[in-house]
Amino acid sequence: MLTVKILGSGCANCKKLEAVAREAASQAGIEADFIKVTDMQAIMAYDLLSTPGLVLNDKLVSSGRIPTVAEVQGWLASA
Amino acid sequence: MDLVLKLLHGGAGSLAAYLAAHVLLCLLPAFFIAGAMAALIPKASITRWLGRSTPAHVSYPAAAAAGSLLAVCSCTIVPLFAGIYRKGAGIGPAITFLFFAPAGNIMALAYTGSILGPEFAAARVLFCLLFGIGIGLLMALLFWKDDASHDAQTDTLFAEQASVGPAAKGLLLSLVAVLIAGTLKLWPLTETFASLRLPLSWAADWQATLFGWVPFDAAKGEEGVSLQGSVLIALLLLIAAAAWKGMENIIEGPNRWTWVTLGLAATTLLVAALGLTPVAGGLEVGLTGRVLAVAASLWACWHFARQLDADDRQAWLWESWRFVKQIFLLLVVGVFIVGMVRQLIKPEWIESLAGSNTLQANAVAVFFGVFMYFPTLVEVPVARMFLDLGMHPGPLLAYLMADPELSLQSMLMVAAVIGRQKTAAYVGLVALFSVCAGLLYGAWVDGLGWLPLSLALGLFIAVLAAGLAWLRQRQRQRRAAST
Repeated sequence: MLTVKILGSGCANCKKLEAVAREAASQAGIEADFIKVTDMQAIMAYDLLSTPGLVLNDKLVSSGRIPTVAEVQGWLASA
Repeated sequence: MDLVLKLLHGGAGSLAAYLAAHVLLCLLPAFFIAGAMAALIPKASITRWLGRSTPAHVSYPAAAAAGSLLAVCSCTIVPLFAGIYRKGAGIGPAITFLFFAPAGNIMALAYTGSILGPEFAAARVLFCLLFGIGIGLLMALLFWKDDASHDAQTDTLFAEQASVGPAAKGLLLSLVAVLIAGTLKLWPLTETFASLRLPLSWAADWQATLFGWVPFDAAKGEEGVSLQGSVLIALLLLIAAAAWKGMENIIEGPNRWTWVTLGLAATTLLVAALGLTPVAGGLEVGLTGRVLAVAASLWACWHFARQLDADDRQAWLWESWRFVKQIFLLLVVGVFIVGMVRQLIKPEWIESLAGSNTLQANAVAVFFGVFMYFPTLVEVPVARMFLDLGMHPGPLLAYLMADPELSLQSMLMVAAVIGRQKTAAYVGLVALFSVCAGLLYGAWVDGLGWLPLSLALGLFIAVLAAGLAWLRQRQRQRRAAST
């Protein structure tokens, strides 16, 4: 089972990123566990300088921007 | 009941006057600029100057630049602040970044400039830069031991390099040109080159109706809604409707409504630049230098935007739209409430508390700034209200310095990252420096000459430089001791 973490303090972009990631997973028919990380200390454990961040199986794949559904699907496939 | 009506009317009137007069030519381009900065300037182009091994004379200005260029919202401010503090240049530059971000970013600058006047914007930036670096240095001096313990961590986060592409640079400059062309009150922008009289007989009646709806008192600094303003408000509502369909899913590509939204936005800027005056039996349309300048810079934006990658362009539009959603609504509500509150405050109160540039007046202004929390940018219309009610510009600047830096929200955020003791030191320093800034600016407004003013600033810089030299010596000793 894949673990998807959304890093962000709850700003508009974090919600958008979560929506995009969920859409990508359901389109690809991949079952994933979605976890929202809002605690700043936990977020800073990853190397990123701006939120939102997307983490697949504990690997940071994007930060500071919102990827497209197609991009996320590519990452999901290779995760 | 009468009071409630009066309050609601005050709120609606101030909102209508704001939307009609100020917001469009400065905020509309400012949203697009902020979006472009968030989407098109790679963070690494600035953050590579914020690593641990960077010397202080590079890292402090870089921290200020990061505050000005990268940080328009808390999504960036908190992680970048924590990153600079824990993994990068240390507490000094982190504090400089935090202090400069709310006042030095493009939205705050453009908005302060157009509502309170360019002198206020210039004073705000200058003092924030000077004091941001000063407070950063002082914090680094106070807590230098703490920075030493972070030295063991890795520095990969700040090692990356990147630069801004030519199309992105061109787009940013063209957008800034739109902002400048739209707001500067200078010849040849204000000159009318040609005028045209349209036979619209309802124009004068409509203007009279508008003044009837939103009565205003120029003596109290209130503004009415002009005919042009009503057209602009209508265009704004249309943009809002179209943007909801065109911008919400822009990341997946533009649709028909995206183009409608952008077209309407450009039209709005052009209409706002025209001179529309109702005359007897018609409407006089004046072709001003401003229209030509705005049109030319809009064309430049179009030219450079077409050269961008589709991904970058969509990210830019999305970020701009996000800022609109995040800030505009709060601003609208804020301006409405300010308009209501204004009906309740008597000018004599402000006059007696902060009508002159005294230490006490500045302290009261800072105290107010610390305990009141206004969302992003709402501090500016609040300041305008105080100015109109007779507050002295000195204490007003002190308030403007303290309010965004020391809101409860930002204090909690700082405390979570750097701990309570350092937060207390930071708050104390900001309050002290804000009072100083207010006193200096107030003295300048009251006619203090350049000589004593530059002496005071020179003294301040000398003290800072001495502190910096001492810090560097200490660091050198520490490094020598550890090897």
